Amino acid sequence: MRYVLKSIGAFAVLAMMAGGISQVAAHHSASMFDFTKSQTLKGKVVEMRWVNPHVTITITGTTNPDEAPGDWLIETTSPGNLVRAGGWRRDALKPGDEVEVTFHPEREAGKKSGLLQEVKQVSTGEVFTANIRDQEKPGLE
Amino acid sequence: MKSGPIGIASVALFTLVLASSIASAQAPQKAPAVVNPPPTAQDWADIAKLPDWSGVWNPKISDQDAQVKTNPPPWNEAAAKKIAKMFAEEKAGRPFLVFSNCLPEALPSWMLVTHNAMEILFTPGRVTMLGESDGNRIRRIYTDGRDHPETSDPTFHGHSIGHWEGDTLVIDTTDIVPEAPLAVSEAAGLPNNGDMHVIERIHLADKDILHDDLEIIAPNILTKPWKTTRIFFRQRARKFDIVEGVCATGDLVERVNADGDHVFVPVQKSEWGHTTAVPAK
Repeated sequence: MRYVLKSIGAFAVLAMMAGGISQVAAHHSASMFDFTKSQTLKGKVVEMRWVNPHVTITITGTTNPDEAPGDWLIETTSPGNLVRAGGWRRDALKPGDEVEVTFHPEREAGKKSGLLQEVKQVSTGEVFTANIRDQEKPGLE
Repeated sequence: MKSGPIGIASVALFTLVLASSIASAQAPQKAPAVVNPPPTAQDWADIAKLPDWSGVWNPKISDQDAQVKTNPPPWNEAAAKKIAKMFAEEKAGRPFLVFSNCLPEALPSWMLVTHNAMEILFTPGRVTMLGESDGNRIRRIYTDGRDHPETSDPTFHGHSIGHWEGDTLVIDTTDIVPEAPLAVSEAAGLPNNGDMHVIERIHLADKDILHDDLEIIAPNILTKPWKTTRIFFRQRARKFDIVEGVCATGDLVERVNADGDHVFVPVQKSEWGHTTAVPAK
């Protein structure tokens, strides 16, 4: 456990050194992702951060069966928007769930992250989408 | 020299007058406090006569997107150059963070570019708007007949006074901090730089569609007032009730520390605002 805290502390310092903490959370544009490309990631859910303004999902998997699985970070919109636009629940994805994610990759090559288009629970076939414009009508159910 | 009775009386009278004048100088007459009277049964009955704006309202984002091209603000020359640069940077994958540090989107940008829902509450003398996603999204609109304050105390959402014209709520907002952005998207917006004035007419355009007709007067960045309408859809399904959302948690993840305490620790963010790494459990 001590090791965990030490690791977390070291990570935080590294993150700050990388300049990632000075400009912090915001409702941001998604233009760092390449909307002209789409990839599929197959793997297992490590963790879903059900937070505002952007939910993130860590998945251990691969986009290429010839490559060893790695940790990917998939970002999406806010919890409220996911509930209204994509039928999500806080427990829609749980650690260990086997999933297939379709996503827009980062423009910068080699980054293991992307913007979620949809995710499928392999065991049930349930699909969750993330297009915030899908909620543009009254009386959604 | 001895003082006679008249001399003693004169000194006493002088002392009394002097003390009295000092006291009055130290304690000037106070204006009576302005109080907010308790609402009456009639005040509550009058609330029932207002249009029904209950439920959760979510924005028409596709119309926000469209108006970037169809109805841009009349930026002045300097502002137009900055906005053009922001659009170019966004197109290149380096979006500017208009809403950094989880500060409120503020007025009028909350109404202009929000991607999140809101709810609207009526109580006697006031309309309150509560936003999803940021704990600090709240607008207090006074409908009790008061005026704007004589002494400006700028805030993110400004000082709003409103009145009803039929079923339309007319809101006049001043005293917005100069740093509050006038934004057309999450990646394009500029500080208003002071003296911004926002006039809104909010009304039902259909049974479950709310329109906010805005007129934005921002003399330091616009050449003339900008008029735009923003559209919101009503949801009544209980699963869409607005829940607490704290923007700062976007920078953090829940972990258990060495002492067994549940704590938040930072995640790694890019300079464009997206999460790039989360510390392992």
